[in-house]
Amino acid sequence: MTYEEAEKELTQIVERLERGETSLDEALKLWERGEELYRFCVGQLDAAEGKMEELAKRVDAARPAR
Amino acid sequence: MRVDESFAEEVLVGALDGVHGNLEFSGELPDRSQWVVRLQFSADDARLAGRGALLEALFRLKEKLAAEGLFAESRKRALPRLPRRVGLVTGNDAAAKRDVLTTIQARFPPARVLVAETYVQGPRAAAEMVAALEAVCVAPEIDVIVLARGGGSFEDLLPFSDERLVRAVVACPVPVVTAVGHEQDTPLCDLAADRRASTPTAAGKLVVPDLEELLAGLARARDGLARGTRRSLERHQTRLAHTHERLRRAPTLLVERRRAALTQTGGRLRTLSPRATLERGYAIVRREDRLVRSTTEVTTGDTIGVEVADGSFGARVE
Repeated sequence: MTYEEAEKELTQIVERLERGETSLDEALKLWERGEELYRFCVGQLDAAEGKMEELAKRVDAARPAR
Repeated sequence: MRVDESFAEEVLVGALDGVHGNLEFSGELPDRSQWVVRLQFSADDARLAGRGALLEALFRLKEKLAAEGLFAESRKRALPRLPRRVGLVTGNDAAAKRDVLTTIQARFPPARVLVAETYVQGPRAAAEMVAALEAVCVAPEIDVIVLARGGGSFEDLLPFSDERLVRAVVACPVPVVTAVGHEQDTPLCDLAADRRASTPTAAGKLVVPDLEELLAGLARARDGLARGTRRSLERHQTRLAHTHERLRRAPTLLVERRRAALTQTGGRLRTLSPRATLERGYAIVRREDRLVRSTTEVTTGDTIGVEVADGSFGARVE
């Protein structure tokens, strides 16, 4: 699953929940799924951030002393 | 009269004014019906025409070449941003060559330059420069050529207006930058060149980028890249946090909405219960725990229970 796919599904879940058309039982299941998707997305963003920082450090190290 | 062609080629039409030499005349009558006459002129000195005649000849050549479209703006090619190798056609006199090389070296130290030294003045200059230009432009990796010469007299710069050189500049497969004489001189090859530089130094600046500037630009681009990526990441983080907030609230809202609906339903249920009716003043009568719906269900002396809105009490039928 890509970040975009996860985020899209999460948004759809939130919209369904906000419309309030689901059964209570279903709502709880959706919420659980939503939280799972949220954790996945946050993990992806954290990883991206870490990668960016690492890259920035590497680039700085490679910058010729001038 | 036959004039040696190799010499004739070197001079601009109309540029000579007075030629000195020997005229030889010989004749024979091989078959009595026809004379064969041989006339030969060997020139040993020629004088250049006056400035006026030269200018007129130059003007005519300029008109002719312009009519062919050789000076058209549309013909001019863009100079390469970063040439693999620069060709330099110049005299072996120090100044112009040194200025171009020094400027290139200072701006872009790793630049590679192929120098072709040639005559840049005198009767052989035009043909020599054409040959040098043709040789340099086919050398490997040449992406741009500089044709440079320092200042000189009007006559000194004449070869740079030679038709052959102008055509060679036009035919050159890579862009040509000219830097000939001083600002006010405009030899015809300047008009045919893809770019004209006012001085050899200016030509050097045109053909290579400033490495420092290039590196600074690259650094700025990379900083922008990092900033852009960070901004994109932050935008995603913000949006995700917002979506998560909505996700957190949604079930609570759902339950609250259900609760509200339930309360409403409960209200409707209560309006259907007899209590509301009792509150309006009605009473429920029971005899031995059974509802009394008719006068036939009780007789005088029976004990009955009466229920009203706020409680119940006993009573006796009379």
